[in-house]
Amino acid sequence: MNDEKKTKDDYLWDGSGEPDPEIQRLESALGRFRHNPDLHPAPVWPETAAAPHRTGWRAWLTFPRLAPALIMAALVLAEVLFLRWPRGPQPINPSISSWQVSRLAGSPLIGENRIAESGRLAIGQMLVTDASSRANITVGKIGEVEVEPNSRVRLVQARMTENRLALDRGTIHALISAPPRLFFVDTPSAVAVDLGCAYTLQVDDQGVGLLRVTFGWVEFETHGQQSLIPSGAAAITKPGIGPGTPFFEDASDALKTALEKLDFENLDPQSRAAALHTILAEARKRDGFTLLNLLRTYRGMSEPERALIYDRLAALIPPPPGVSREPMVRGDNYMVGLWWDLMGVGHPKKK
Amino acid sequence: MAIAQTFEAEWKAARLKGLTDIAGVDFAGPISESRTVAAPPVIEISEDARLVIAARDGNRAAFGELYAKYARVVHGILLTRVPPADVDDLVHDVFLHAMRKLGSLREAAAFAGWLAAIARNRAADFHRRSREHVELKDDVAEAGPPHAEPHAILAMIQTLPDAYSETLILRLVEGLTGPEIAARTGLTPGSVRVNLHRGMEQLRAKLGQSEKP
Repeated sequence: MNDEKKTKDDYLWDGSGEPDPEIQRLESALGRFRHNPDLHPAPVWPETAAAPHRTGWRAWLTFPRLAPALIMAALVLAEVLFLRWPRGPQPINPSISSWQVSRLAGSPLIGENRIAESGRLAIGQMLVTDASSRANITVGKIGEVEVEPNSRVRLVQARMTENRLALDRGTIHALISAPPRLFFVDTPSAVAVDLGCAYTLQVDDQGVGLLRVTFGWVEFETHGQQSLIPSGAAAITKPGIGPGTPFFEDASDALKTALEKLDFENLDPQSRAAALHTILAEARKRDGFTLLNLLRTYRGMSEPERALIYDRLAALIPPPPGVSREPMVRGDNYMVGLWWDLMGVGHPKKK
Repeated sequence: MAIAQTFEAEWKAARLKGLTDIAGVDFAGPISESRTVAAPPVIEISEDARLVIAARDGNRAAFGELYAKYARVVHGILLTRVPPADVDDLVHDVFLHAMRKLGSLREAAAFAGWLAAIARNRAADFHRRSREHVELKDDVAEAGPPHAEPHAILAMIQTLPDAYSETLILRLVEGLTGPEIAARTGLTPGSVRVNLHRGMEQLRAKLGQSEKP
């Protein structure tokens, strides 16, 4: 290899040596296809204090070679029990309209029956965990849902095109790897629509829900209101009102408290102005996503309020060509879409 | 924000499952071209192993670090095989799949090769589901002066043998250096260097052909 060729190979290898004009031309031409971390940022997950516990399938890792055998044995046993044992009224064909449930801790119930190690949750049946029990639901081939203690989950539908749970109370963690809009979770005040994601959903005894997205996107929707929630963000939903404005979990507590007041409380004009002032003052560039959502017309902000939000958002993230103040203040949702690309959150999966 | 402040949700999505399959990823398949798999440099291994183990144990930030480190690699591997417009969705799918199956990865240090295999597998699955894209890719590759359009150059690279096209895209599109490609795909540095050199030779030949009147 002569020196010139070696130098060019060095440039191809690690960018050192004399630049090769042809390679530079290719780099320049092809750079447009490069992964864009601004549009597809790494998930930002807040740390939790709780230490992970080693129960259920995690404990099998101690004996990984036994795991497949244990799984097979459990499946066979579950099928035998399911097919042979007399029970109350069952769906006509439970094998295609039920999901596998595995016990992770304690004694979860399906209907009134305790799960020994595994069982099947049929359409219409309720999975109930008490304070010491946890369970895992296998959602067909598309994912898994872990059910935390003190939860009540009902299987509503199990079809190829619609997989639907209802979370009446408690906490679930969902991890779904599938095209968008195949997995749904009903809560008392909104539906969580999977757009290819991992998330945690909690519903308290008053029916108030909190959705926290750890990866991908989830849509929270009811009666035409929808909140698109990216990873690292969350949204609250309340009965009679529906989902509130999404916010990043690392936003300041002051912003989050003010946002909850603005979304869900019937404030007098002075308190409302104070809440909005706090949100705008506390908003970082990253919270521009929340401000942009407040500009959506169904959020019910007045024009003077929208003007304040626009000004603050424009200061944080200058509007792109095609977006201007007056139409946005009047409620131009199309311009909201144009600005969206600059929020650094990307877009939900297309299919 | 009472509910948010008292919320105790512990993310456990990447639970260890103890399963040994990797959902169709075939590590025993034939080794083509210069795709000799070997251990990446020690520093990368130990760092990856630390992150993988932490992610397995429920540390969500650790998986975020793995994503940040490997997103370009997964993007490049997919871009080698599928139309650019579909790549971002598939990157998303690959990481979701990895998150679900992290427990089935027996050697934490093998994360790079494992993730690359998932990405290649996902691309193959994409084509199984939509054959029309393959035809489109071939059409694009044959059409027009390739030097004129980035899409045409990309399509031309896609027609090279996988080992060459993948390495070239990671270098020319994603901007990774040869050593970085080796460390983040599980290939040996020597294989990467050969793939870059031969791939570039073949690409130059194709570019030269296309420029002939």
